[in-house]
Amino acid sequence: MPTLSHFLLAVVQALALFAVAPLISGLSRFERAKMHTRRGPSIFQDYRDIYKLLRRQDLAPGEAGRIFQFMPVVMLATLMVIATGLPMLTRFTPISAVGDLITVVYLFALIRFFFSLSGLDSGSSFAGIGASRELTMGVLVEPIMMLALFVAALLAGSTNLGEIGIAISSGTVHSAAATLLAAGAFAFALYIELGKLPYDMAEAEQELQEGPLTEYSGPSLALVKWGLALKQTLVVGWFIGVFLPFGSATEMSFFGLIGGLIAFVIKLFVIFGVIAVIENSVARARFRLTPQHSWLGVGAASLAFVFYLVGL
Amino acid sequence: MTPLSFFWISILVSVVGALASILVRNSDSTAIRAASGAGIVASAAGLVSGLSALSGPAAVIDLAGPYPFAHFVLRVDPLAGLMISVISLLSLVAWIYGLAYMREYEGRGVGGMGFFMHIFIASMMLVVAADNAFWFLIFFEMMSLASYFLVIFDQNDEAVSAGFLYFFVAHAGSVLIMAAFFLMANAAGSFDFAAFRETSLSPTTASIVFLLGFLGFGAKAGMIPLHIWLPRAHPAAPSHASALMSGVMIKIGVFGIIKVGLDLLGGQELLWWGVVVLAFGAVSSVLGVIYALAEHDIKKLLAYHSVENIGIILLGVGVGMIGIAMNNPTLAVLGLMAGLYHLLNHAVFKGLLFLGAGSVIYRTHTKDMEAMGGLAKAMPWTALSFLIGALAISAIPPLNGFVSEWYTYQALFAGALEGSFLVRFATPIAAVMLALTGALAVMCFVKAYGVIFSGPARSENARNATEAPHSMVAGMAILAAACVLLGLLAPLVAPVMGNIASATLGVPAVMFADGATLMPGEGARTVLSTPLIAVLLIALAMLPLVIHGINARMRATRRHTEAAWATGYLPDVHMALTAKSFAQPIRMFFAPLYAVRKTVSTVWACLTRGYERFVCFARRNEPWADNRFVNPIASGVGVAGRRFQVIQGGDFRIYCLYIVGALVALLIVAAS
Repeated sequence: MPTLSHFLLAVVQALALFAVAPLISGLSRFERAKMHTRRGPSIFQDYRDIYKLLRRQDLAPGEAGRIFQFMPVVMLATLMVIATGLPMLTRFTPISAVGDLITVVYLFALIRFFFSLSGLDSGSSFAGIGASRELTMGVLVEPIMMLALFVAALLAGSTNLGEIGIAISSGTVHSAAATLLAAGAFAFALYIELGKLPYDMAEAEQELQEGPLTEYSGPSLALVKWGLALKQTLVVGWFIGVFLPFGSATEMSFFGLIGGLIAFVIKLFVIFGVIAVIENSVARARFRLTPQHSWLGVGAASLAFVFYLVGL
Repeated sequence: MTPLSFFWISILVSVVGALASILVRNSDSTAIRAASGAGIVASAAGLVSGLSALSGPAAVIDLAGPYPFAHFVLRVDPLAGLMISVISLLSLVAWIYGLAYMREYEGRGVGGMGFFMHIFIASMMLVVAADNAFWFLIFFEMMSLASYFLVIFDQNDEAVSAGFLYFFVAHAGSVLIMAAFFLMANAAGSFDFAAFRETSLSPTTASIVFLLGFLGFGAKAGMIPLHIWLPRAHPAAPSHASALMSGVMIKIGVFGIIKVGLDLLGGQELLWWGVVVLAFGAVSSVLGVIYALAEHDIKKLLAYHSVENIGIILLGVGVGMIGIAMNNPTLAVLGLMAGLYHLLNHAVFKGLLFLGAGSVIYRTHTKDMEAMGGLAKAMPWTALSFLIGALAISAIPPLNGFVSEWYTYQALFAGALEGSFLVRFATPIAAVMLALTGALAVMCFVKAYGVIFSGPARSENARNATEAPHSMVAGMAILAAACVLLGLLAPLVAPVMGNIASATLGVPAVMFADGATLMPGEGARTVLSTPLIAVLLIALAMLPLVIHGINARMRATRRHTEAAWATGYLPDVHMALTAKSFAQPIRMFFAPLYAVRKTVSTVWACLTRGYERFVCFARRNEPWADNRFVNPIASGVGVAGRRFQVIQGGDFRIYCLYIVGALVALLIVAAS
């Protein structure tokens, strides 16, 4: 069981991420606009959108059911639970009972379950196709994620995300090539999960991530938008926590946490910059071609596994 | 002697119930009440028996029985206790559910259904408790036969042909099991399992015994490629019987694999046995769920998921065998415990899903999901139970399916950390297969729930559906509650499962829980806490709820408009997403794997066709042999008889002449 200070850290971390998530997605929009040499919206635009939506009426199709109604709440709650388990400011996981790699992967599956089901539950065929595609992406991504993390966990000797990060940052993993390849494969899988070009267009309606949202409106839509922003932040934070833990606090101390926070913000900023570059240099890939790309991820993760086996 | 006495009560009540439901078969409603009443009492007694045996030392009773070569020995050890508890829990629920559900079959011999259900359940209980190979086989056959009659209950072409396939595979499996037992009996000099345990075989013989047993019980368990009967036989049976078949009977196959591989051959395991089990498990889990995705018959879909979950259970059992072979008792207990936990969980959620499917079919009178839709509003309790079952089978935390899959992952991980190259190579691949299975299962159950319970109603029956009768809802509610409790109370359940595993393997216990946290063994560096996750989920859900509620006063109230957006056209029922179109991307991406199924089923079709040809051949050749051998001899004898009749003229003087002739002939012989 976590101590009180760990528990406090976890709750603060989850609430803080929840609070700044629209800012981070605004930042991502801002960086993208700069690359287009557009002025673009302010980085606070997403807060304004959410505020506006919160004042509107909640509309739903006549056939929509309870799952459609409650999905936004389930999604945000689960995302915040994941946020309590990821090592972000610290090397260790704030609540280690959540910070197991298998638990985190399956908590994301919980979100995917309700997110897609809400599409079907809305009664709209378009949302249903979005749901089907969203789940298909999950099928392509999850094995890559699991293999890459499994290799890293084998190198570290534990499936706890914090332990993996500690082992990588302290250099006790004895196979650098395997670690690098696993990191690459994991980054690739997470990139697909982010819902950015070329695999998805998070901002476009009727695309994968927004597909199941076709029928959402008003405050429900506000919550889901908020949830998507939080999900993107968490996905990047997950990568940072496991493979780039450098600079985060090794112990629970005030200055350590401040240092960890600064390091985390810098890493987040850089990674979103890289994402913006990728996003702006590719075109949307056809959905049917995604498996051909994801084989690349499977290949990289398998190669990492082979390197681990032979101990390179 | 509590376990055994309650065990006997349960068996006796079952037999009485079976006879009673046959005796009063002329009145359907009395037959239903008699069968279900006896069934509820019998399974309650069975539950007490099973639960009290969980912690126990094994209770053994040796009744000599009528055969001197095979004593009737019953042994209720913790493993048998677990199986008895699972059987009893599921049959208790099935009987409660059956009170209303069996009325669907009124006028079609409900008495017979009650009879076969009772025999089926009682023989399953006796199989897991029997401690003698001969009696084990007798009860195993009884179980197969009784379930065969449940499969063909509908009497239509599909049911009869499915039943035939089932009969065929079940007996092919029995033959292999028999061969395995005879090999062991030959070495042990007795049919008693106790003697089997004492005997050690040469590694070659042990391997042959193991493979025979593994394939024989694997056919019963429905692992790929011996699964072919399962998706046809389970859907054909009445839903509460399919819940028992999928929830419990196929577990007897897993039980048999554990019994042969880890109990009877205990300590003689070779490393490659475990790897073989692991390989079969991984393939079964992935292919099972992929084939499930392509189904739009709800019961077939669930049956394919049984194939998948048997695969997941085998992953745990495989690690258990690897652990014993590597002399690593902690690993062995972890693996077996993961398998047993998943066995229990799968029984609960698969039973629940089959009962849910049964309720839906009870109202819509079809198994085709495409003809359902929009049932969540008409059947809210069924929908909620089905949703819980769907979440549990998709291994969504914090429900029970997740806990056992987490332990399975941890067992695979622990196996990958230490061990020979083969094990280090095989276990992570199995883990990735499990991840793929998990993602596909999520997709499959989103589809199942979405197509059945969401969207527009796609048929007249679906539009007019109402909630299922009370006793059916009660049956589902019990299992739904069990899904939640087995997940949230995992810190209490896991140590019990661990004790069963270590008692079965005969090694010291391993620590699986501390307070509210779960862990895979003492020194493990990772933990899980389902109660904590549940508390966090509920607590953190308050925040979005509050945000959603803040402005509620300022805006107009929630409104459900007429129709969903359909690019400006009026939405039409035919526009609604179907089960087939939902799974289309997967069928496209995994086309080669579906091609494998076609090949496998062609092979099976060839076998079946070959068998039919053989029967035809036999039928044709039976008269041929008659014509060529039997008839000529018979008519030859007749002809000869008629020829000899000539000497029997009827004139007594000629007879006297014969006597004189014979006398003279004898005298000549005696003189010479």
